[in-house]
Amino acid sequence: MSQTATVPHSLLSATIEHLQHFAPFDRMAQEHLTYLVSHLHLGYYPKDAIILTPEQGVAQRFYVIKQGSVVGEQVDEGRGDEEGVNWQLVQGECFPLGALLAVRPVVSVYRAVEDTFCYEFRAEHFAELIRLSPAFSDFCTRRIANLLEQSTLVIQAQYSQKSNARQSLSTALSTLIRRQPVTCQPETSIHEALRTMQEQRIGSIAITDKHGKPAGMFTLADLLDKVALARADISQPIGTVMSTDLVTLAPQAFACEAAMAMARHGVHHVLIVDRLKLVGVISEKDLFALQRIGLTEISVAIHNATTIAALVPIGQDIRQLAHNLLAQGVSAEQLTQFIATLNDLLTQRIIALECGEAGLEGLEFCWLSLGSEGRYEQTLNTDQDNGIIFQVPPGGQAGQIRAALLPMAGRVNLALADCGFPLCKGNIMAGNPQWCLSLDEWDAKFAAWIQRGDAPVLLQATICFDFRPLYGATALAQELRARLHQKIRDNRMFLRHMVMNALENRPPLGVIRDFVVSDAEELPHSMDLKFNGITPFVDAARIYSLTAGLSETNTPRRLRGVCEQWRMEQKLIDAWIDAFFFIQLLRLRVHHQQREQGRPLSNRVDPDTLNDLDRRILKEAFRQARKLQALLERDFQF
Amino acid sequence: MTLSRFFKPRLDPALVRRIVAWRRRQAPELAVDAAKLRWVVVDVESSGLNPYKDHLLSIGAVAIQDGQIRLDDGFETVLQQSHASDTANILVHGIGGQRQVAGEPPDFALTRFLEYCGKDPIIAFHAAFDKALIGRALNGVLGIDLASRWLDLVYLAPALLPEDKARCHDLDDWTACFGIVNQDRHNAVADALATAELFLALIQKARLRAMNQAIELIKQAEAQRWLEENLAKR
Repeated sequence: MSQTATVPHSLLSATIEHLQHFAPFDRMAQEHLTYLVSHLHLGYYPKDAIILTPEQGVAQRFYVIKQGSVVGEQVDEGRGDEEGVNWQLVQGECFPLGALLAVRPVVSVYRAVEDTFCYEFRAEHFAELIRLSPAFSDFCTRRIANLLEQSTLVIQAQYSQKSNARQSLSTALSTLIRRQPVTCQPETSIHEALRTMQEQRIGSIAITDKHGKPAGMFTLADLLDKVALARADISQPIGTVMSTDLVTLAPQAFACEAAMAMARHGVHHVLIVDRLKLVGVISEKDLFALQRIGLTEISVAIHNATTIAALVPIGQDIRQLAHNLLAQGVSAEQLTQFIATLNDLLTQRIIALECGEAGLEGLEFCWLSLGSEGRYEQTLNTDQDNGIIFQVPPGGQAGQIRAALLPMAGRVNLALADCGFPLCKGNIMAGNPQWCLSLDEWDAKFAAWIQRGDAPVLLQATICFDFRPLYGATALAQELRARLHQKIRDNRMFLRHMVMNALENRPPLGVIRDFVVSDAEELPHSMDLKFNGITPFVDAARIYSLTAGLSETNTPRRLRGVCEQWRMEQKLIDAWIDAFFFIQLLRLRVHHQQREQGRPLSNRVDPDTLNDLDRRILKEAFRQARKLQALLERDFQF
Repeated sequence: MTLSRFFKPRLDPALVRRIVAWRRRQAPELAVDAAKLRWVVVDVESSGLNPYKDHLLSIGAVAIQDGQIRLDDGFETVLQQSHASDTANILVHGIGGQRQVAGEPPDFALTRFLEYCGKDPIIAFHAAFDKALIGRALNGVLGIDLASRWLDLVYLAPALLPEDKARCHDLDDWTACFGIVNQDRHNAVADALATAELFLALIQKARLRAMNQAIELIKQAEAQRWLEENLAKR
């Protein structure tokens, strides 16, 4: 009675086409997509239906959301009926990767948030597809498979608990109020009100009477309609032009009520009023932050931003996205790539906006990313490290061009700081004349460093040698890179200095294989994940790749790049890269915890606060760093 | 009973054997959970809007089993035509003249369709149209009738969702109620898929009314049809 499996041709191509809108299907070979679609079922889950639970035992199916959305909710008996929304999956996303790979039950309850259709695929076919398709396998598997898999679960559990309240549309509005409302009184002049809005970089201002009771609202849209186009006198009181049809809600109201109220009344702001007193303003934007912020949305938003002020909240969105991705257990590699991509876009947009106003036409220059930004390895507390390289036209003087570029560079540095990239403590920034140099000046600076090779110079070299072009005349950066590599080839002593310097920084492992901690001011009994954990990998990769003349700046890519030239075992390289990413992931988690607790971000962690699993992996990662250093020592004995 | 009575003499003996095998297949019990049963969801494209005069051009179908749409259990055919339908009609379904003439020979296509359906119940939206066209083709080409029970969603949907009845008229309206997107409207398979998705959603609505059995759904739709036809008469 059984039918031979056939997918009608038009259905096959339509389904493949639909899937190709999403990763990893956009990268998979046609034959593998055909295999996938030939084994698909389509299931329907009405709003609130449970799709998957831990009780169902080992995960049997792979799900891709065709339409609708699904939440993963942490199982937490202690909290009873409290809403436990963890993260939301939308059209095109897949689940549960971890459980299928590890052949175990899921740890979360997956529930449809709206009417949802899922493509479904049996576990055995999933395993087969992992085998067939490198792109699919790459997407699904993380390489330190077993340990890291489990660690990720723990991360997910931790993060999901924290993000409960923030991601749900059933959040009380009171928890969404970001700041004290900016207000003025009806008698305030339009001019004064606009100045306040400008200073505070806000798009709307609430007008209250002297008891704090809301009387009206004035937004940028009103500015156009009622002031600019109406040619109103701006010395008039704001009360004459404010909107008085206000939408108000109590602080206890839910976010979804605010969303509905906005939609119904066609407004972008809701006033939160507690006992007749204005306590906050919720904008459409605040509500959108609750939805899962996607990569595309953010990049489109960056692209469309025409003012620095519009870019400031996007910096927030990027961090929120990072948080969501962390909670979903996205690998550190992908996560840092996302962060780097978006930060790049944001920075490029800022530079473009500032350049547009500065009138720098005709100047040939390139904005350089340095340090971790140059390596595409920013975390959530990355300081700015940047510089400018420019070309001196014939007959021109470097000083003049520098003078023309510096004001713009300084404004970009400040704007980046507004967007959440703290100013560099060492002042390695494009706005500093020391780091805004012509090609020849950079060249001379590098040459001097390479001659000296002492400790302070090496520190600067580690930051600056990881430069990459971010905006402008890329060719200048390429030229500098070529000259640098030539110098290093001619001066092997410098490499030796770099190696010695790198080897001084040993991973914090004691003889009996336990952690070596120190009592830093900010956190006693702790170790520095960046300096002691990441840096050994970064330093070694830099030395190998500078020697090899690779233009890569990213640590894993450098390691992969030198693999062949130095005849290193692929397995070794993979293990280093895994170790590197694990420490990065741990750093990201630590930063997030600190941010949630409102503490300053730091790379220090007390190993006793880590769970057993993370301690085990971290030790293994440090052991890998040690191995890499041993190799470095051997390879550069000269 | 000899089978030759039922078949036109020029039918390929291999096809006759296949049709005999189909005839012997058992119809499933319909007093069971609708979500457990295999259903065939069909949509057809034709050379015009009159099911008693125009030709069957193509059949698209997907099966539902265990409450899920099986993309790997689908059916699609474009039937070979002696001449292509007119341009206005081609613009509706997009099956060009060449594809019509180069289609699958109807006797093979329809035999395959019989085997695909088995005796399982068939779902369609505006089932009367599909049923008449398929019925005429089966009768004319193979000389037999399809033995399946039909379930028409054009009646089941308003029976289960009376509150949406006033604003929902065609398949697009009803699928929109559940946010279902049809990638390729007026492609028979794509329409069948959208119809199947609607059915999955309707099964859930029926459950809310404690209606689980396939036969209950079929009867519910038939009752609604009677109601609408009799109300229309008044």
